[in-house]
Amino acid sequence: MLKSVEVVLLGTSVVAPQDVQVLQVMTILGGAPLVSGFVSHVEGRLQGRRGPRILQPYYDLAKLFRKETVVTEESSWVFLAGPVVAFGCYLIVPLLIPVLTTYGLPLGYMGDILGGAFILALAGFAVALAATESGAPYAQLGGSRAMTFGALIEPTILFVVFAVALITRTDLPYALAATVRSSSSEMVRPGHVLAGFAFFLVVLVDTGRIPVETHSGTLEFGMIDEARTLEHSGAPLALLKWGSAMKQLILYTILINVFVAPWGLAASGRPGSVVLAIPSLLGKAMVLGCVFAVIDNLFSKLRLFKITEFIAAAFLLAVLAVLVFYAGGG
Amino acid sequence: MSPAPSTYAGVADVVAVLVLLTEFAMLRAPLLRSQVRLYAFQSLVVTVLAVVIAATRHIDELYVLAVLSFVLKVVLVPGLVLRLLRDADVDLAGSSVLGVPSMIMIAIGVSAFGIFTVGSLHVHSNALPTTALAVAAAVVLVAFVLIILRADVVSQAIGFFSLENGVSVASLVVAAGLPLVVEVAFLFDLLVAVVVFGVIMRVHHGRSQTLSTEDLDRLKG
Repeated sequence: MLKSVEVVLLGTSVVAPQDVQVLQVMTILGGAPLVSGFVSHVEGRLQGRRGPRILQPYYDLAKLFRKETVVTEESSWVFLAGPVVAFGCYLIVPLLIPVLTTYGLPLGYMGDILGGAFILALAGFAVALAATESGAPYAQLGGSRAMTFGALIEPTILFVVFAVALITRTDLPYALAATVRSSSSEMVRPGHVLAGFAFFLVVLVDTGRIPVETHSGTLEFGMIDEARTLEHSGAPLALLKWGSAMKQLILYTILINVFVAPWGLAASGRPGSVVLAIPSLLGKAMVLGCVFAVIDNLFSKLRLFKITEFIAAAFLLAVLAVLVFYAGGG
Repeated sequence: MSPAPSTYAGVADVVAVLVLLTEFAMLRAPLLRSQVRLYAFQSLVVTVLAVVIAATRHIDELYVLAVLSFVLKVVLVPGLVLRLLRDADVDLAGSSVLGVPSMIMIAIGVSAFGIFTVGSLHVHSNALPTTALAVAAAVVLVAFVLIILRADVVSQAIGFFSLENGVSVASLVVAAGLPLVVEVAFLFDLLVAVVVFGVIMRVHHGRSQTLSTEDLDRLKG
């Protein structure tokens, strides 16, 4: 009797894991412009401006998709293929990470954290290649810088993965999220705190936030990631912009749902909890975005040659996380 | 899956790691004043560790030690060094031989050496946070790196003082019941060091108008 009431209230229907997986991709795809719009709105508010509308990125994308695409005669198909490949990569990564659910989804075991990092790196490579193909000096400079600093931050990512592997004996993101959820003492063990903070710094570098790069400036000499897209226009530019917003939300999701706050995820395939997980993720991402906006206003941009110091600090934290584990505690 | 450490061991480990991180921050701090402030912060963290151990293990003597170390290492010593700096009117630390990233890499290597060395001793005990012990060894080694690589008197003094902080962490986690007399003797040692380094700073600045030790190389003849 009781069971049937529960059935009426909550429903027995379960969303198929494949559908949840598609929903994860759609969440990242649809939510990314919202999150980046919210962050730039908060940033504007903190600087005493009114800030752009929260939905502004959607309007920008719609406008860019309507515009014509201009390509120089010298550049080959790589120039146009780059943004598409990168966009495809950003669509694959949400399949591998815990976006909405606590339980692993069928395709989630296709790749571990390193696999996800590789696909993100492939996307960066495709964009850099397209930038180089444009033949314009600033875009090439951006592509070369992005590759340089991307290579420098790579060891930190590896050591964060090692730390995760030492905690969970696997390198699946789902496993670490489950470990963190299992008890509050997991949350404050030094190895986890160090690895989490190192990953936070990695996110700062990879999303091109302030200690490393001003993402809203127009001065080409300080640009890294931004400069790569200078020569693109129309739909490819829209794909690049959308892609970088998705990359930002993907990195936020990994930081939140794997390291910092893996709560509010759907524990079962019930439609209600799966649907509820979407606003919960976007809400958490917006809170994290506020943290980044505050950092944006508190610090100044580092000189280009000082960025290695910043990366060295991130590397230090990640290495210490691994060392502390070897010392027996962690 | 390796189990999470107990709360006491966890706190001791976090404090030890914090001490190590401030040591690294001192290594890269370009301003002498910020180095001194970092030392004050590090000493405060060590004081907190003493209070935590006193509370969890019910050793009342440690409260006395905590008060003494707070007064000496958080207030008195940094205050004195800052005052000396104000008189000397020098802000920037002497340029070190290496760039910051290389210094950090060397220090990472050295602290890995320290941690693995203590780890290979196979000291295992339920009451003893071995991680904190290993990290304390790393703190001492990184303090040596600070003394060796930075070429100014203040960094060397601060390196020496923070070395004492590393030793304090080690003695607190390994032998919390160490007689108070021994601990106070440590602190007295520190006081003597402060006097000596103060004299060195004054004399060196008086003679060469700088705090950098690079001029002293000429003594080699």
